[in-house]
Amino acid sequence: MAEPQTLPQFFLHNCRQYGESRIAMRVKDRGIWKSYTWQECYERVKRIGLFLRKMGLAPGDRVALLGENKPEIYWAEMATQAMGGSSVGIFSDCGSQEVKFFVNHSGATFIFAHDQEQVDKVLDVKAEMPQLKKAVYWDPKGLWSYDDPLLVSFDEALVEGREYEKDHPGLFEEMVQRGKPEDIAVIIFTSGTTGKPKAAMLSQGALVSAARGFVEVDGYGPDDNYLSFVPVAWITEQLIGVAGSIFSGFVVNFPENAETVNDNIRELGARILFFSPRQWESINRMIQSKILATSWIKRTVYRFFIPIAMNVSDKRLNRERIPAGLKGLHWLGQWLLLRSLRDNLGLSFLRVGYTAGSAISPDILRFFQSIGVNIKQIYGSSEMGLVTAHRDGDIRPETSGKPLPGVTIRLSDEGEILVRNPGMFVGYYMDEKAYQEKFRDGWYCSGDYGHMDEEGHLIVIDRMEDLRSLGNGRKFSPQYPEVRLRFSPYIKEVLVVGDEVHSDPCCLVNIDLDNVGRWAEANRIAYTTFADLSQKSEVVELIRGEIRHLNKTLPEEARLVRFLNMVKEFDADEAELTRTRKLRRSFLEERYADMIEGLYSGQDEVEVSATIEYRDGRKGTMTRRVKICTL
Amino acid sequence: MNSGRVFAGCGTALSITDGTPASGREVSVVGRDSIRLMTELKERPSVHMGPQKILEVRDLWLKFGGNIVLTDLSFTLSRGEILGLIGPNGAGKTSVLNSITMFYRPRQGKILFKGKDIIGEKTHRIAQLGIARTFQNIELFSGLTVLQNLMVGRHVRMNAGAVSSSIFFGKACREEIAHREVVEDIINLLEMEAIRDKRVGSLPYGQRKRVDFGRALAMEPDLLLLDEPLAGMNVEEKEDMVRFIMDVFELKQMSIVLVEHDMGVVMDIVNRLVVLDFGRKIAEGVPREIKHNAAVIQAYLGSKST
Repeated sequence: MAEPQTLPQFFLHNCRQYGESRIAMRVKDRGIWKSYTWQECYERVKRIGLFLRKMGLAPGDRVALLGENKPEIYWAEMATQAMGGSSVGIFSDCGSQEVKFFVNHSGATFIFAHDQEQVDKVLDVKAEMPQLKKAVYWDPKGLWSYDDPLLVSFDEALVEGREYEKDHPGLFEEMVQRGKPEDIAVIIFTSGTTGKPKAAMLSQGALVSAARGFVEVDGYGPDDNYLSFVPVAWITEQLIGVAGSIFSGFVVNFPENAETVNDNIRELGARILFFSPRQWESINRMIQSKILATSWIKRTVYRFFIPIAMNVSDKRLNRERIPAGLKGLHWLGQWLLLRSLRDNLGLSFLRVGYTAGSAISPDILRFFQSIGVNIKQIYGSSEMGLVTAHRDGDIRPETSGKPLPGVTIRLSDEGEILVRNPGMFVGYYMDEKAYQEKFRDGWYCSGDYGHMDEEGHLIVIDRMEDLRSLGNGRKFSPQYPEVRLRFSPYIKEVLVVGDEVHSDPCCLVNIDLDNVGRWAEANRIAYTTFADLSQKSEVVELIRGEIRHLNKTLPEEARLVRFLNMVKEFDADEAELTRTRKLRRSFLEERYADMIEGLYSGQDEVEVSATIEYRDGRKGTMTRRVKICTL
Repeated sequence: MNSGRVFAGCGTALSITDGTPASGREVSVVGRDSIRLMTELKERPSVHMGPQKILEVRDLWLKFGGNIVLTDLSFTLSRGEILGLIGPNGAGKTSVLNSITMFYRPRQGKILFKGKDIIGEKTHRIAQLGIARTFQNIELFSGLTVLQNLMVGRHVRMNAGAVSSSIFFGKACREEIAHREVVEDIINLLEMEAIRDKRVGSLPYGQRKRVDFGRALAMEPDLLLLDEPLAGMNVEEKEDMVRFIMDVFELKQMSIVLVEHDMGVVMDIVNRLVVLDFGRKIAEGVPREIKHNAAVIQAYLGSKST
C-alpha cells in the first residue's frame, strides 16, 4: 500500500495496524463507557460510506454534520471523506433558518442530524433545501412516529451499506486509495463577526500537515485520551480531534451530553484537552465561587498557597531561580492543595490543555500554570490554519507562542499580522473574489494586529477592524481590557467602547449571575432577577472595585472612565455574540447606542428599553433605569 | 438496596417474569438499542383492538364522615388513551387518584382495573397490579440519589429473595443489572444523566418532579396517574415535561390519567376530558366540546351577576 497522504488513508492504515487490539473511540452511554476498536470503527465507516455512495454521493460532494459530539458524527465525517466528499460542520445550536443557509450555501446533498431536535430543524426548512437527498439521524428518541421519506436512521444506513458491500467488495478501499492531498476535506464556516459567514475550504494535505506539526510539537501517541466536546464546526476540533486522532492514533472519548462534560473529564483522566478561553474562564470562575462558598479552613489554605504557587510558576516561566524556601512551601502546597484541586477538576493526568479561538487573559494562563495545569495558547483561524503555539518550557502568558514548523510570519506597516502557511485554506467556497482579497503579495492578511517580541513569540492584540483611535490619535484596543476584566469572577462579559468622538474608554458590563448572586447572598442583599441584581448599588460598587483594580495595570490613556451594568446578558441567539462567543462589536454598538450615549452624556442614569426575543419567537420589551458609574 | 454499582460482565438478563401466580405475565425490559426499539414499536399490534377499558370508575362515592368528597362519579379510560381530569381547586381531582390507588377507601361504588374490582386492595397490591402515580408534593427519598430513587421504583419487579440478595453474586447480581439497564433507559429518556448521582434533596423543584415521573415509569405500569406534573414549572421546563409525557405515551402506548391546571397543555394533549366540580362530574367529552361547555365555564369563572 502506498504511503498514506490523506486522512482516510491514515485511517485505513491505523485500522490495519491496530485492528481489534486498540480502542479508537469511547462513548458514555447509559452510564457506562462503551468502547469501539479500530476494527469496529472501520466497519461502521465503511458501511456508511458505501451507503452514501449508493444514495448518490459523488467525489467532491458535500455532507453536512449537525449534532453533538458522538462517535456517529466522526464516522459520518470519515465516511464522507473516504468517498471523496467534503464534510461541513454546522453548530448544533443554530436555528432552522441558519441551518438552511449553511446547507444551501455549501450545496450539501446529505445531512447527518443527531436527534429529534436537529431533525425538526431540517424538516422545518426541507422545502427550501431541494438538493438534500437524505437526512440520517442516530438518536431515535421521539422520532418513532416520523415517517418522512427524507429520514433514515443510522442503523438502517449501516444495513444498507452492508448490502451494497456484498455487490461491490473492495470498493471502499479503492475509493480511499484514490484520495489525493488536494481533495477538499472539510468546509468550515467562519464565525461571521462581520456579515454573513464565509465557507473556508481545507484540503486533506493541509489537515495532515497541521496534525503532523502538532505531533512534532507535543508528541501524542495511541495511549493518549482526548475528550471531544468542541463542535466539529470549529477548526480546532477538526485539527486536534479528527486529524490529530487519525494521525497519531490516540483515543477519542465522547461525553454523555453537554452537561456531564466536567464529570466525564474527571472519569477519563484526559491527557489532551481543548477549551476555549471562555471555558477556561468559567472553570476559573467556578473555582473562585466554590472557594467563596467553602469552609474557613479550606479557604485559608487556598488563599495561602495560591500566591506561593503563582510566584513559583511565574519564576519558572521567566526562567528565574527559585529559592529553596519557596520550593519547600510549594511542595507543601502540592500536597495540601494543588493535587486535590487538579483531581477535583479532573485534570490530574492532563499532559496539555490548549486554548484558542480568541484572546485569553494572561492571568488565567498564569493561574492554571500555577496550579499545575499545562495550559498552552495556540493562534490560528479557519483560514490560516494553525500558526503559532507555545512549546513546553517556553510559555509566556502574554504571547501566543512561536510559529509552528513550516509557518512564516511577517508584520505589515500598519502592524497587521501576515502569514504564509502550507496548511492554509485553499479558498472560500463559491467566493473566489473574497479569497483573493485576503492576500497581498502572496501573504495572507490575518486581520489581526500584533507584534513579535525579542524571543520570537507572537503577541496578538486585537482585530484590526476593532482597533479604535481615541481623541488624539492614540491607538486603542477594546479587547485588551475586556479580556483582562473577564478574569474577575464577577464579570462574565464586557464591551469596551471609545473612539475619536467619545475619547474616554467606557464599558458595558454583564455581571456573572451565579457568582454575584452568591456574593449578594453572603452579604445579605436581597434580589430578584438579573436586571434587579445588576442595578443594586452594592453590586455597582463591587464591579467598580474590579474595574479600578484593572485600571491600575493599564497605561494612563487606556484606563476606563465610566461603566454601567447591563440589565440583560449578551446572547448568541439574538446575534449579539457569534456561536463561538465572540462579541459582534458593531452590531452591539448600534443596538445599545442609547446606553452608550448615556455613558458619555454626563448623567447618573439612563433609561433604556430593550427588545427581547423569547425562545418561542415572541418579542417583548423591557424598560429600566440603568445606573452609570464613574471610576 | 445497595448504591446501584453495576458489576460489568455478570451477564445480561433480558426478561423478567412477574412472579405473581395470578398473572404470570412476562415483562420485557424497556428498549435496548435503537433497532430493537423500532422493531418493537412496528411489531406492536394496534392496542385499540376494540375499546379495551383499562379503568372503569362506576358510581363512586367518597365520604369522610359528613364531608362528601366525591359524588356518584363514573368515567372510563380505554387502553392507550390520555384522559384529562380537570376542575377548579378543591373539586376532588387528587381524591380520585387517591381512591384509584386505594390510599382512600371509597365505601360505595366500584373501580375496575382491567375488569377486576380493586376496591379494598392494599396499596402495595395496586402497585404490583400495574398502576403508578406521581405526587403533587413529590414524595421522593431526599437522602437518596436520583438513581437510587429510580431503582426503588423497580421494587415491584424484583424477585430475588433475602438469601440470594445477601449473597448477591449470581441471581441477584444479574437481576440488578437488568433493573439498572431499565433505569438508565429512563434516565436517558428524561435527560437526567447530569444529575444521576445527585442527592434528590439538593435538586431544584422542576428536576425533582422529573425524578418523580421517572420513578413512576420505572414501575413499568399499565396505567399512569399524573397529579399536576407541570405545577410550578416555567415555560421551558413545561415544554420538556410535556415532551417526555408524549414520548412515553408514544413509545409505550401508555394509558394516562392527567390531572392538570394548565389548560393550554391539557387541551392539546388529551384524548378526552372529565370535568369535576365539588366532587361531581359536570362534563365529559373531547376538548373541543368541553371548551364551549356552559357548565364548565361557569364552574371556573362563575356566572354573570344579574
